[in-house]
Amino acid sequence: MSATEFKDGLIKEIPNLRAFAASLSGSMQLADDLVQDTLLKAWGNSEKFEPGTSLRAWLFTILRNTYYSLYRKRGREVQDSEGTYAERMATHGNQESHLDLADFRKALAKLPEEQREVLIMVGATGLSYEETAEICGVAIGTIKSRVNRARTKLAELLSIGSLDDLGPDRKSAAAMQRVGSEIIGT
Amino acid sequence: MIQVDAAMADSGGNDEDDVELILDPKVQESIGRSLKAHYDDIVNAPVPDKFLVLLAQLEATEQRAAGASSDERN
Repeated sequence: MSATEFKDGLIKEIPNLRAFAASLSGSMQLADDLVQDTLLKAWGNSEKFEPGTSLRAWLFTILRNTYYSLYRKRGREVQDSEGTYAERMATHGNQESHLDLADFRKALAKLPEEQREVLIMVGATGLSYEETAEICGVAIGTIKSRVNRARTKLAELLSIGSLDDLGPDRKSAAAMQRVGSEIIGT
Repeated sequence: MIQVDAAMADSGGNDEDDVELILDPKVQESIGRSLKAHYDDIVNAPVPDKFLVLLAQLEATEQRAAGASSDERN
């Protein structure tokens, strides 16, 4: 893999790195510092990347390790002094989303880190359970368990633990599972 | 709500002795959609130029180094 190919691969992953970093650190400013460190480390260790494997998974591993070794404490300090990015970030307000994005981000920020990171990886990044397990260095069963806990905790934080909050039609809930977007939010 | 209470009571335990907690599919789906909305909102935001500048600099440095070493050989 040439330097240019590697560089182009990194550029393609920057948006995902920023989104994962923001989800981890709770701050867009820290996220961008974290992404910069990740890109520098990736560049310096490019010979360790195996072509044909997932560049995203490799970069997430670097980003996550950097976060836990250098950024976690700083993240808390920033959040304490400035509030979480959930309150500060300008968002495009997704009208179709059942839950308000800002409210959702506040709830997400309250999850334990180990639950939040796996929920994001499995639920939003396109990484598989296997890749997530490898990135976190734990068994797949542990990932599944953390995802379950994270969802349950989020439902509790967002007060959607009871069906009544989402609509009365319990009997057809199973059928609705496949129908999707039109149903939720009505 | 029973499921949620069980989760709270169990939240201090470790990952392995898991009580199987099944959220309603509609709740799961709603959370999944919000999760994507949160993530995609950032993914779709403009990438700051500084990252592209940084990578261009790294590439240029490497190319200069490669050029210099091949000059030495020649």
